[in-house]
Amino acid sequence: MSVIDLLITIIVVTILVTIALGVMSYLAYKLRLARRPRQTEEDRAESRYFVIHEPPPESAPATEDTSVAET
Amino acid sequence: MARKIRPVVSIVSTAAVVLATVLFVYWAIHSPLQVQRFLVRLVLISLIIFLAILFVRYFALLWFSYLQHAEKTARGRVESHNLPPVSVVVPAYNEARVLDDAMEALLRLDYPTYEVIIVDDGSIDETVEVARQWEGQHGDVAVRVLTKANGGKATALNAGIAQAQYSFILCMDADSWIEPQTLHVVMPHFEDPSVGAVAGNVKIFNRDNLLTRLQALEYIEGLNMPRRAQGFLGAVNVVPGPVGVFRLEALQEVGGYDADTFAEDADLTLQLITAGWRIIYEDSAITWTQGPTNLIDLIQQRYRWTRGILQAVRKQKWILLRPFPDFPLWLSAVEMAFEGVVWPVLNVYAHLFFAIVALLFGMGELLLYWWILLTLLDLVVALITVSMEEESLSLVPLAVVYRFFFILFLDVTKTFAAVEEALNLGMDWGKLRRIELSQITRAGHR
Repeated sequence: MSVIDLLITIIVVTILVTIALGVMSYLAYKLRLARRPRQTEEDRAESRYFVIHEPPPESAPATEDTSVAET
Repeated sequence: MARKIRPVVSIVSTAAVVLATVLFVYWAIHSPLQVQRFLVRLVLISLIIFLAILFVRYFALLWFSYLQHAEKTARGRVESHNLPPVSVVVPAYNEARVLDDAMEALLRLDYPTYEVIIVDDGSIDETVEVARQWEGQHGDVAVRVLTKANGGKATALNAGIAQAQYSFILCMDADSWIEPQTLHVVMPHFEDPSVGAVAGNVKIFNRDNLLTRLQALEYIEGLNMPRRAQGFLGAVNVVPGPVGVFRLEALQEVGGYDADTFAEDADLTLQLITAGWRIIYEDSAITWTQGPTNLIDLIQQRYRWTRGILQAVRKQKWILLRPFPDFPLWLSAVEMAFEGVVWPVLNVYAHLFFAIVALLFGMGELLLYWWILLTLLDLVVALITVSMEEESLSLVPLAVVYRFFFILFLDVTKTFAAVEEALNLGMDWGKLRRIELSQITRAGHR
């Protein structure tokens, strides 16, 4: 195989392998994304900045007291 | 953004693109001789057109970036006695590992009057605790910490801007390290009342492996060089997230950052240009940032960038049809759309097409000469841009693998991202892994 044929082979193989690697890496990224645990609506609602006060059961009906932790 | 993410649809659309390509190849192999001759002629014409587009693009970018460089060199460093106070806004989401380094760099800024506002966007790590340690007065610099429920980077930036007490805002990322002279070299540009924002120069800090070194070259050649060219026209189309200084009046005019794209920086910049503001590039306003260190993280980043930019262009799509009266604006939007979708798709299919047809129809020598020409072009461009940036010349030889491996690899992701954006599929931010500054070795650059 001459030097020119070798270079041609390297170029063609590099192009095809790079494109294949790109496709496979992209699919791997998508699979990683699919396996990641999703944050549920409940998780989002559970915020460190809101503390909901629950009155003791024996007390008279009370209004809900939501205190916001301000920073 | 609240779109449902459907990874199955993404995978199916990927498979469809791959299948279409394979079917084309199968058809090409089994087509009649006349069709094959036509394909060969098509390859020749495509090679010439591809080279012509590349040369014109590179020539235009190099010429305008050279004019910007020459203009700045002739002007010399502008010393201004008018250095107005600046508010620095640092949005942070789960940045506990890197926030200390960013803050140390911020407090080393060589500037008379500025304040720092860290905006925690509902982090679930120790970001707030780390930020609180910086809260208070550091000499003349006041550091404040705001916290809010998680709403995305755009809302965090807007929250910080709303609390800013000064008329100029530096927006930066919590994982970036700003150089001390940045504000000093940026603020004189605002003496021109038509300037709405100044884009800084983002460089890759972690150059530990081939991938990060290629990103370092890409930032110089693929991002900063076009910004220089656009800066000469006063129409930089993206003020980068890691370093951008804005006139508060300009931000208020466009309503701050919108939260409906994943490239809020590109979206805001296009809105500013549309509103008539000039956007300048200052190459001495340097900020160092971390590049992804592995292929998957890199794909995650570039996927978001591509879709975000296409979302931003889609919001302003009317600009694409009106080159006048605002030609620089039209040029910026066209370039964004071209670089975001047209060029990556063309690049991938051109390479695939050339490789397959060369294999099947014995045009290997033509492909070799084409590769030699492109590589020489890339080496020359790398040498010029690296020299203009006063960067390490050790990056120049990387130009040999830059196009045929790195750019081609990224363009595959960009192609799929463009398809997914066209199909309006769901997406989210994704969080890149951060490495503390002390763990990164600064290899191969000054």
